[in-house]
Amino acid sequence: MMLEVRKLSAGYGRVQVLWDIDLSVGEREIVALVGPNGAGKTTLLRTLSGVIRMRGGTAEFRGRSLGDRSIEQIVDLGIAHVPEGRRLFAGLTVRANLLLGGWRTKNTDLDRVIELFPPLEPRLEQVAGSLSGGEQQMCAIARGLMSQPELMMIDELSLGLAPLIVDEILARLPDIAAAGTSVLLVEQDVDAALSVAERAYVLETGQVTLSGKAGVLLADKRIQESYLGIA
Amino acid sequence: MTSFLQATLYGLLQGGLLGLIAVGFSLVWGVMNIVNLAHGAFVVLGAYVGWQVNDWIGLDPFLGMFVAAAVLFGLGYALQRWLINLVVNGPVFITLLLTFGLDLMIVQAMNIAFSADYRSIPTSYAGDSLHLGGIRVPLGRLLAFGVSVVVTLALVALVNRTRTGLSIMATGMDRAAARLMGIRARHVYALTFGIAAGLAGMAGTMIGTVGTFNPAAASGYTLLSFVIAVLGGLGNMYGALIGGLVIGLVEAWAGQYLPGTWINALAFLVLVVVLIVRPSGLVGRAYYAARLEV
Repeated sequence: MMLEVRKLSAGYGRVQVLWDIDLSVGEREIVALVGPNGAGKTTLLRTLSGVIRMRGGTAEFRGRSLGDRSIEQIVDLGIAHVPEGRRLFAGLTVRANLLLGGWRTKNTDLDRVIELFPPLEPRLEQVAGSLSGGEQQMCAIARGLMSQPELMMIDELSLGLAPLIVDEILARLPDIAAAGTSVLLVEQDVDAALSVAERAYVLETGQVTLSGKAGVLLADKRIQESYLGIA
Repeated sequence: MTSFLQATLYGLLQGGLLGLIAVGFSLVWGVMNIVNLAHGAFVVLGAYVGWQVNDWIGLDPFLGMFVAAAVLFGLGYALQRWLINLVVNGPVFITLLLTFGLDLMIVQAMNIAFSADYRSIPTSYAGDSLHLGGIRVPLGRLLAFGVSVVVTLALVALVNRTRTGLSIMATGMDRAAARLMGIRARHVYALTFGIAAGLAGMAGTMIGTVGTFNPAAASGYTLLSFVIAVLGGLGNMYGALIGGLVIGLVEAWAGQYLPGTWINALAFLVLVVVLIVRPSGLVGRAYYAARLEV
């Protein structure tokens, strides 16, 4: 597996958020991480990208440990993190935002991401803060892709977006994975996430409570009752 | 009429130099949210560096200013990298206190090293003048103005058009997101502070060439930087230049037509009036999420 997480624990200050997480992502795979608010999904991504330190367990990317690496070293390894709330540089143009995505790897070729998200092309010289929500999310994902990562972690792709837009953006993920960038997708919209992912993990109060093939989980009674509103 | 034109010209020339002093102050405030109370001390320290290399090897101050810029850049980089970065995420009050302490230390060190005497960096030409009609154009000030405008515009170009500039703007707008892009925020902060100190040092050498300086002058330059930065719009580098010109003009006119003690009062009056009419400054936009603008 490309990303191997074993018995990982992490937290903030005296509060431990994650307990013994086991998770893996393979080559060209889309993996969803779902669960309720406060389960620790964002914390897990932040730990993997080096924003917060792990307290226990191991995380290896292509055999190299993430635990003792800084954020920029993890970017160098080929992991991109599209953060919750998109966090675009609102006062900069779309072009500048994309160039910043490729800042570390010195990639300035916008063609590939524009091809994936054509609506961005006419917006290139526009200030990112003035984009619609859907365009902003496209820009955030495109910015993440600019570092030409082997793994992209996307946090709450659907946040604040209309379902139609979410489907449109999710539909791009298989292309991204096929082109060589695996995706670890954090989502509260379980139905949407499981529709594109091959495998999924359910995270509840800091622990993985369920995992498996997306199709199997979609049919699981517990998932249907807790997340899909099917009684 | 001639005296008015003479004062206007003098104000514009002085204003360009003030703009170069304030541009670094504004940059640091815009990018890191640090109100650097030691900025004026950097200006005066730069003047002493220029004076010292002139004294040692007779280096012309318009070349010596590059030495001053390099020395102050190094000092600024180191101060930010290994000292101010320790508290940069804290409340603005903490950095205010820290830079106030730095100001006291630098000014006192200059008093010990150079005494409190007024000095000036001598040249054979800075005192010469061109004559345009009835107006006298002091050569040194004209040169200082030209250098200031060119350097300020070069800074704008650096921030707007280069990879380094992009990382400075991004870090200023969203430090956490910039780090996710692989930008080393601590290095960028240090670089920004170093650039600001370097420009202050450069301006200091020119001030020492066209006028006099002593360690006690430091606080005056901090105060002026503050007024100009807020007047122009925080973090806005064109704004600093325009703010500098406005303050230069106000000071020159006030010096011409009002008692000398009115000069600072009038400068602050202009600031207050501008802030009432345009709260985000002369060229600033009311877009605080995007803290740094060019």
